[in-house]
Amino acid sequence: MQQKWKITLLIHILLGLYCMAISQSTVQFKLMFNNQLFHKDSSYLNRSGETIQIHRFMFYTSKWKLITASNDTIQLSQNHFLINAAEEHSTKLPLSILANAKKIVFDVGVDSILNTTGIQTGILDPAVGMFWTWRTGYIMAKMHGTSPQAKTAGNRFSYEVGGFQSPYNAVRTIVLDLTSVRERNHPLTIKTNLAQWFDGKHTITISSNPNCHNAGKLSMQLADNYGSMFSIYANN
Amino acid sequence: MQIKRTILFIVLLVVLCAGFIDINQTQSASKKVPFAVPKGWPKPVYDFSKNPLTEAGIALGKELFYEGQLSKDGTISCGSCHQQFGAFNSYDHPLSHGLENALTTRNAPALFNLAWQKEFMWDGGINHLDLQPLAPITAHNEMGESIENVLSKLKKTKQYPKLFKAAFGDETINTQRLGKALSQFLLTMVSSNSKYDRVMRGEDSFALPEQLGYAIFKTKCVQCHTEPLFTDYSYRNIGMPLEPYLNDRGRMTITNEAADSLKFKVPSLRNVLVSFPYGHDGRFFSLMNVFEHYRNHMQIGPTTDALLKNKLPLSNYEIGQLRAFLQTLTDSVFLKDPRFAEPGTSIKGNPPIDLHN
Repeated sequence: MQQKWKITLLIHILLGLYCMAISQSTVQFKLMFNNQLFHKDSSYLNRSGETIQIHRFMFYTSKWKLITASNDTIQLSQNHFLINAAEEHSTKLPLSILANAKKIVFDVGVDSILNTTGIQTGILDPAVGMFWTWRTGYIMAKMHGTSPQAKTAGNRFSYEVGGFQSPYNAVRTIVLDLTSVRERNHPLTIKTNLAQWFDGKHTITISSNPNCHNAGKLSMQLADNYGSMFSIYANN
Repeated sequence: MQIKRTILFIVLLVVLCAGFIDINQTQSASKKVPFAVPKGWPKPVYDFSKNPLTEAGIALGKELFYEGQLSKDGTISCGSCHQQFGAFNSYDHPLSHGLENALTTRNAPALFNLAWQKEFMWDGGINHLDLQPLAPITAHNEMGESIENVLSKLKKTKQYPKLFKAAFGDETINTQRLGKALSQFLLTMVSSNSKYDRVMRGEDSFALPEQLGYAIFKTKCVQCHTEPLFTDYSYRNIGMPLEPYLNDRGRMTITNEAADSLKFKVPSLRNVLVSFPYGHDGRFFSLMNVFEHYRNHMQIGPTTDALLKNKLPLSNYEIGQLRAFLQTLTDSVFLKDPRFAEPGTSIKGNPPIDLHN
């Protein structure tokens, strides 16, 4: 009996060491606009030919997990993370990726239970500004900027995408394949292509939709679009 | 040997953790306040286990309710638009006033029996009492302040860190605690001592017109204004035509469903005689306006409530008796309860009478 305990313990310790040695210890979002590195002072063109400058870009992620080669699911974190283009450190998440991971899965958005149980704290504190106070719900992702094509005061456009209830649930689950990731020593870099907000599954033009501030059809279209903005960065 | 050590380690870990739990419990040592559910009332929907009422929590909530610093320029508190003598509505204001002469777009509702209310605002857009105060605090035409600024202002004061410590165990001031404290105060605002309640408890009896009015009420009104809360908290279109300047479609703003156009939350009729004007935009100045609306002026549309497809026929006689009954819903104990009064003010005289009737 005692022998069995010892062996189990030993296996666990070895497994732990093994994982530490060959896993990636960070996930990093690399913000881009198509093939250019994103910068808030640069102008970009969407496929509809609109000139875009983006001043603010933030989104929540949660429910990080791995699917292993043997199709086991491993929870990576119970936490929510807020990625903010203005804060470089927020684009790096302290998550360990196992070497045998086949897929990485995460949500863009905030779990519905946290939208229905009063006021949360920390990164989910409504004071952070990613929360609608006039109707309950987190802003899952937001993009603010200017464009000469925005027929609004100051040529501003503002996308604040939310909604946690069917049929207008703006949470999107992202599944990325890791089998082609070769170098395991670097952070797992996830390309985050902001152009997809306009040129994803739905073509969104600033001229016809400069604002989104409620759950609904436009939020759902933008959510479909940001659901397709992630891919494994090729240098991995 | 190694196993013994491991076990010892685990035991130590558990003891250590238990120590932390103990600390947390002793931190909020303020005296617990039980929440009494009036006899025959349903179970409250508010989850008290997540925010147990304490003396210090309620006291902090009351301070915050009457705190002008929750607004941008320090002039407007929750109590500015929710006045006790009007059952915490905005006395005689169709639309309440916000910062710098701004007008809001809806009538400030009376506040009571909030422990039984699942959704808030006329459109039900807010799903938790703790969150509700954030709406008026941040609305540009109400208190016009950011949550961040409210918190930093409170942190800079002398008294609030102490009050938060008394209520929650340490001096941390965050949005969650702000909401919880306000909820604690609001939850204590139970209105259950009207003449109607006394009659139901067998302590009083209706006068004849009140009795007749109650019978009429039970055939024509009770389907939506369900006893004992006098609302079923549903959203209904009662045939109020769209107000062209406000363009407020109510519930549809939240659900995006055309079927919800012009639907608004059924308001409670408790304290109805002191909480005029009526309707989501305060368009009815008097009860008589409301009765006239129901029997003559309703605009029947595709989303008008099924119960009102033929309007609501009411004779002059019925209106008279209904009015007598509705008067029995005024809870003068609640309207004068010093527990809810603005600190430093005295409750004077009788609640205002409906001067438009």
